[in-house]
Amino acid sequence: MRRQALFTGLSAMVLAASGCAASGDGPGDSEQTSTLRYAAVGAPAATTNDPHGRVGNESDYLRFAMLYDVLTVLDENGVAQPRLAESWESEDEDLTHWHVSLREDAVFSDGEPVTADDVLFSLRRIQGKGAENNGRLSVFDLESSEASGEHELELVTLLPYAEVGVALSSLTFVVPEDSDDIVEPVVGSGPFVLDGADDTTATLTRNEEWWGPEPGVDRLEITAMPDPSARASAVASGQADVAGSVAPATARQYAEDDAVEVVTRPGGVNYPLVMDLTVAPFDDPEVREAVKLALDREALVETVFLGYGKPGADIVSPSEPFAPEADPVTRDLDRARELLEEAGHEDDVSLTLHATNSYPGMEEAAVLVSEQLAEAGIEVRVEVGPPDTYWTEVWNVESFYLNSLGGSGFVDFSRMALVTDGPINETGWSDEEWDADFDTALATADEAERHAVLGDLQQRIADDGGYVVWGIGDGIDLTAAGVTGLPTGPGFHRLQIEQVEVAG
Amino acid sequence: MRPPQAAPSGAAPRRRSGVPPLRAPLWALARGVLLLCAVSVVVFAATSLLPGDAAELRASPGATEEQIRALREELGQDAEPWRLYLSWVGGLLGGDPGTSLVNGRPVADAVAQRLPATATLVGGSLLLAAPAMLLLGGWAGSARRGRAVPTALLTGGAAVPTVVVAAGLAALLSGALGWVPAVSLLPPGRPPIQSPELLVLPVLSMALPTALFGGGLLAGAVADVVGRPHVADARRRGRPPWAVAAVDVLPFLMAPFARVLAVAAGGLIAAATVVETLFGYPGLGSLLVSSIASRDVPVVQTVALLAAAVVLAGLALADAVAGGTDPRRRTW
Repeated sequence: MRRQALFTGLSAMVLAASGCAASGDGPGDSEQTSTLRYAAVGAPAATTNDPHGRVGNESDYLRFAMLYDVLTVLDENGVAQPRLAESWESEDEDLTHWHVSLREDAVFSDGEPVTADDVLFSLRRIQGKGAENNGRLSVFDLESSEASGEHELELVTLLPYAEVGVALSSLTFVVPEDSDDIVEPVVGSGPFVLDGADDTTATLTRNEEWWGPEPGVDRLEITAMPDPSARASAVASGQADVAGSVAPATARQYAEDDAVEVVTRPGGVNYPLVMDLTVAPFDDPEVREAVKLALDREALVETVFLGYGKPGADIVSPSEPFAPEADPVTRDLDRARELLEEAGHEDDVSLTLHATNSYPGMEEAAVLVSEQLAEAGIEVRVEVGPPDTYWTEVWNVESFYLNSLGGSGFVDFSRMALVTDGPINETGWSDEEWDADFDTALATADEAERHAVLGDLQQRIADDGGYVVWGIGDGIDLTAAGVTGLPTGPGFHRLQIEQVEVAG
Repeated sequence: MRPPQAAPSGAAPRRRSGVPPLRAPLWALARGVLLLCAVSVVVFAATSLLPGDAAELRASPGATEEQIRALREELGQDAEPWRLYLSWVGGLLGGDPGTSLVNGRPVADAVAQRLPATATLVGGSLLLAAPAMLLLGGWAGSARRGRAVPTALLTGGAAVPTVVVAAGLAALLSGALGWVPAVSLLPPGRPPIQSPELLVLPVLSMALPTALFGGGLLAGAVADVVGRPHVADARRRGRPPWAVAAVDVLPFLMAPFARVLAVAAGGLIAAATVVETLFGYPGLGSLLVSSIASRDVPVVQTVALLAAAVVLAGLALADAVAGGTDPRRRTW
């Protein structure tokens, strides 16, 4: 009988395995509770409970946005709207001292009120983790800032900064004061409270105490899934109601399917070509212009985004309310060759274009770009690198590559990547006049006036800068039939899913 | 026909180790521990050789060298590699495999959370593949017109990459027939075994290549046994084929079968990394894949060591089974 030992052992292992997991509770108790199951981008092993440090998963951001209140949110037009902060007004002429009033009816899920101390603590904690979160809030002098009342804050900025409302938007998750080390979830004051979670799926239930309008569903299940087609299959097979960020090919595949709806977020995907202006041949403005003219942008958008997008005019943040209304650059191969000739580069331009394969379509974009540039006499070799090292070894290091921009608005982006001493000035853009005008814009209280300058600054980058924004793809989500209200605005607007409803 | 032999061909006196019987298990244990140490050193070295470390990958693009150094210090990763390794081993010996460098949570929790899912997958695949490989091995090994063609078929089939098998099965069973879902999202808080329809694709994707691979390996052993005089003798005496298979062949196959199963278990764990990622199934395999990507060394180390321990334990078990089931050593 001993040969049975192996099988007995195996069966025991399986049984024990299932037994181990049996401790969790069942899937909800009544048919009347409405549940939204969201399959979001995320690697389960990278799941974190700290909303202020490195957040690699969209699934984590979604969870944080539902568990924690943020100070302001951007609406579908990219304009800051009140959330936990009811108002933010500058107290002086030079726009460096800001008075922020918080709503008084926000409470954490343990019953404690949300105070200015909690907010200031959270802002400082976010700033302290700047190395992990891209220097978020680096514009504030939070040491000099203070809580001036139970629900009042005086915030100080390091320079005149008219866009404080935007700077406080979307990712300013407020946690209770003294939550120094957030390894396990801490209480929040958002529209949902955490019911239970493992590193793959988090279950949230509606927060009855939330100050805002009643959320669209009773329960929320957010699942982290790294594979885009697996997310789509999850919706198609009825295992999820929403699949976040799927590839255009997948969207096309389900376009005719009645059970699945394709929801697009204009301006969600941007893979600009990055040229380093400090390195030959891109130090020559004629070469830059030649590259911009040599691309067949319609063809790129058709091939890479399968039509889910539109050709670009090299405007890095076209979703901004102040973005210039420019027509896409049309291809002019003759002019491109002429420019190269004038620059003395007829046939000797040989480049290596870097891309990485973790973004849907980026590799295809690189290959097509190389073919199109070849027609203008620019020889391009494509090198596709692994995603793990792309941000350390290619980005901001090589002189010609594809980046992925998204999320942050033009002002933040400029501060990081366009002012001369910006920490991630990858194109080496350095223009004193531009820098001065940028400072002026931020010191301009009048919105229309400020927006006019910011629009002009964008246009100048488009004309002379190192970014070739050949096209802007839609962010594409799939939903099961009957799901309504999925946010479709730019940037982090996609995280505000508390009003999404499911039918039945 | 082979020339008649006095004893079955495999019955040459076995090499007896000079170690007294009681010390043999201790020796096996020591050997296992040494092998595990070697595995952990190799895994640690391999992870260290990958470009970038957890601090660099956790830092946002644009972080300064100084910021990254501070982050590394905060994560406790600023010492020399050998010190990091020793402190991890020290912790492990004390029962604590450390905390994740990505989210600060205990590694033991992350592993315990996912162990049941992968154990179900590997266990289910073995349950399916084990009888299948015996049948396939029997078929190939006893084929009348030589076993070259069947064995080639098995080997060829086993060489198809797991990812291709999985994609093919998904296209057939889910895409064309619509029998099972194409992804396997486990409902939160329920053991995987309660969602059998979600296990079909991952288990089949792992079991099928394993069965072919095991069948191919067993074919040779089957051919050896079938060629032995006592089998021919039994046939001549008119014993029905099923009885020949059960009484005269099967007992001789137990030793190679156990070893093949142990090796197959190792292969299944490797296949789990692919299959779990493909079907969105939250197990140790996908944990390993993403932990390598984020250079989360304590998690990588723990999962790899666990996998190695399972394979080594399987091999030790197989040895024991082989020793216990060899009909020529039967003492009862």
